[in-house]
Amino acid sequence: MKAKIALASLLLAVSAVAGAAEAVLKVSAIPDEAPTELQRKFAPLGSYLEKELGMKVQFVPVTDYAGVVTALNADQIDMAWLGGFTFVQASQRGKVVPLVQRAEDAKFTAKYIGSVEAGIKTLQDLKGKRFAFGSASSTSGHLMPRYFLQKQGMQPETFFKSVGYSGAHDATVAWVASGKVEGGALNASVWDKLVEAGKVDPAKVRLLGTSPTFYDYNWTVRGSLDKKLQQRIQAAFLKLDAANPEQKAILDLQRASKFIPTKAENYEGIEAAAKAAGLLQ
Amino acid sequence: MLTAKTLSARDPALAARLGWIIATPLLLLAAMYYTGFDPRLLLDADTLATLAHFAGEFFPPSHDPVFLASLWHETLTTLAVASSGTLLAMLVGLPAALLTSRALDRDVLTGEAPSRLWHWLQNSLRALMVILRGVPDLVWALLLVRAAGLGSLPAVLALGLAYGGMLGKVYAEILEAQPRAPAAALAGSGASRLAIFGYALLPQAAHELISYSVYRWECAIRASAVMGFVGAGGLGLLMDTSIRMLNGGEVGALLLVFMALVALTELISRLARHAVESRRGGLVLAAACILLQLAAFGWLGPQWQDSPFDVGGLLRFAGELLHPNLAPAFLLKVGGGMLETLAQSALGTAFAFLGGALLALPASQRGPRWLRYPVQLLLNILRGTPDLLWGAIAVLALSLGPAAGVLALALHTSGVLGRLFAHTLENLPPEPEAALRVSGASPVARLAYGLLPQALPQWIAYTLYRWENNIRIAAILGLVGAGGLGQQLYLALSLFQLGNAATLIAAMLLLSWGVEGISRWLRQRLE
Repeated sequence: MKAKIALASLLLAVSAVAGAAEAVLKVSAIPDEAPTELQRKFAPLGSYLEKELGMKVQFVPVTDYAGVVTALNADQIDMAWLGGFTFVQASQRGKVVPLVQRAEDAKFTAKYIGSVEAGIKTLQDLKGKRFAFGSASSTSGHLMPRYFLQKQGMQPETFFKSVGYSGAHDATVAWVASGKVEGGALNASVWDKLVEAGKVDPAKVRLLGTSPTFYDYNWTVRGSLDKKLQQRIQAAFLKLDAANPEQKAILDLQRASKFIPTKAENYEGIEAAAKAAGLLQ
Repeated sequence: MLTAKTLSARDPALAARLGWIIATPLLLLAAMYYTGFDPRLLLDADTLATLAHFAGEFFPPSHDPVFLASLWHETLTTLAVASSGTLLAMLVGLPAALLTSRALDRDVLTGEAPSRLWHWLQNSLRALMVILRGVPDLVWALLLVRAAGLGSLPAVLALGLAYGGMLGKVYAEILEAQPRAPAAALAGSGASRLAIFGYALLPQAAHELISYSVYRWECAIRASAVMGFVGAGGLGLLMDTSIRMLNGGEVGALLLVFMALVALTELISRLARHAVESRRGGLVLAAACILLQLAAFGWLGPQWQDSPFDVGGLLRFAGELLHPNLAPAFLLKVGGGMLETLAQSALGTAFAFLGGALLALPASQRGPRWLRYPVQLLLNILRGTPDLLWGAIAVLALSLGPAAGVLALALHTSGVLGRLFAHTLENLPPEPEAALRVSGASPVARLAYGLLPQALPQWIAYTLYRWENNIRIAAILGLVGAGGLGQQLYLALSLFQLGNAATLIAAMLLLSWGVEGISRWLRQRLE
């Protein structure tokens, strides 16, 4: 009896999830910062999109980069904020359409940081020390810094004593500040934000350098999403205007001056770097 | 004068014993060198300061209302996942046991000629069960999350698969341990497999089957509490974030909840196993289980509707997994990871043996009362904090790498073994120690000659069992940065390198079977 009820409920639950109506736009983002911060950043953008699109917009928090890729490919979410690398992964594994990116994303950089207490002043000082990337799937927190380090002859696994993955950009700063690692690499935009907010203690963490530029983040939708809706979403992003105070608040939270259209070709460089760094087959 | 000859005449097992006494420390020293685990690090001022600083931040535990709300939500999810996962495991395990248990085979019961085809089918099913339980539940969760999306459904399925394989085996063994006569009588009169089970074996074995299932539920709570570390929902989700962000107050609050949850489930588990004894208790238990399962489905159902489970993705993923990466360079790397994991597990378990032995006496009823309760509390903290969490904390103290894994295993297992060792001491026959006391022996002598010789074989057996468990834990500690195979697996799955992941999982299975074999062999020598 118990088993029957259970089985019935299980079947019900599984079958009930088959048809996803498009009345709700499910949006997610790679968790490159603390989940609370992601929610805070998204809230005003979400209500703006609700108004522009005339449909409910729901933010689905996901704690794992690869999980966002899987969810987008599996049509579990409709739109996601992806990094360059996660976008390449998603387009390798399914049909996805990149819509917009921030003007800043065309010339994105990574920052290298070091521990003041450990006396780290340059990247070379980190030889034989512990180093943290962000998430393994991060573009500016892992792939590109790794790629540029390798190009300079520093193979992370041999150059550093150990290589760890903090999981997120702000976590990397926390790790260096706590002395858990002596050095790390992270997204320049998050670094600037943390510095502006006074969340980096200069007595503990020192900026070592900035990487060359590369294409990063974009807003991508699943390929099976209604084409008209895709265009309307894109238009809504492009319409955001810094001259409008309400919209400026949204742009500021996204750390964008404005949004521009984007295309898959922009990320070919990322794909090549990922292959060169051995992170993509 | 004593010569070697007279010595060996006095003690024929001397050579073997000396061999063990010399070989064990040598092997452990090699493991220490390989993992970079230096026990002196534990007393290092820097390490202690880091730990003390982090532990200091546990207080006051976070009481931010937003955090507490998600804490409540995830606690319920953890409970619900464990309960539905256990139910699913029973639905997998019971049919598997009915099909594979030798206690139901006609050829065993009536001496008929065995059917080749049937045995072949049984063996295939057994092999499937071995694989299901050989892959750690957390790895199942990681795979399902990658294959089919996030949320609590992968966690339930992971528990169902891993524990299903375990229950299938244990149920079958429980049935095989029952007296044969009633089953043989029924089989002789032509009864079906199901009828033999229902009328001959179930009445005898019901208590034990239920007790073991309840015990598994207790384990499932601990397992589902950490599933969030791989994105499968529950308390682990919060723990993962709080630890990554080094938010001590949140970690403190989470630890309290973990501990309370473990204590509560142990209490319920004890009550439930007691309730089975009486008819009325059994009915109450059955009603409680049904209510619990309904509540669990009520809680999880809406979550599942929110994030559909991608069956197509799962199949494609499984297809990609079928192409393991066997390139020599990669195999070499995996081999290194296996050695590291093996060394971690052996070393962690060995230190836990020492820790458990030290704590067992004061924790047992033989210890002085003023010492007993603090030591029991310490054991509960060590044991109640999940191994994966100790891993994350150890990574903070010792930095990333295999040494942190050793420390995590040693701490958690000390708690487990300390409790088991104390039980052993309490259950020893009191005569030898009493005799020594009456004849005026010192407390140390009473311990060395009255208690230890009797307790030691049991202690070692427990330790070896725990080692079998710890090899799987060591394999997944890498998920929190503590080295070994887990770290490679996490990377491979994050980068969708499924061929690498397949090889790594096969390596985990091999390692776990290897250690099981060694442990079984050692235990047999012990007897």
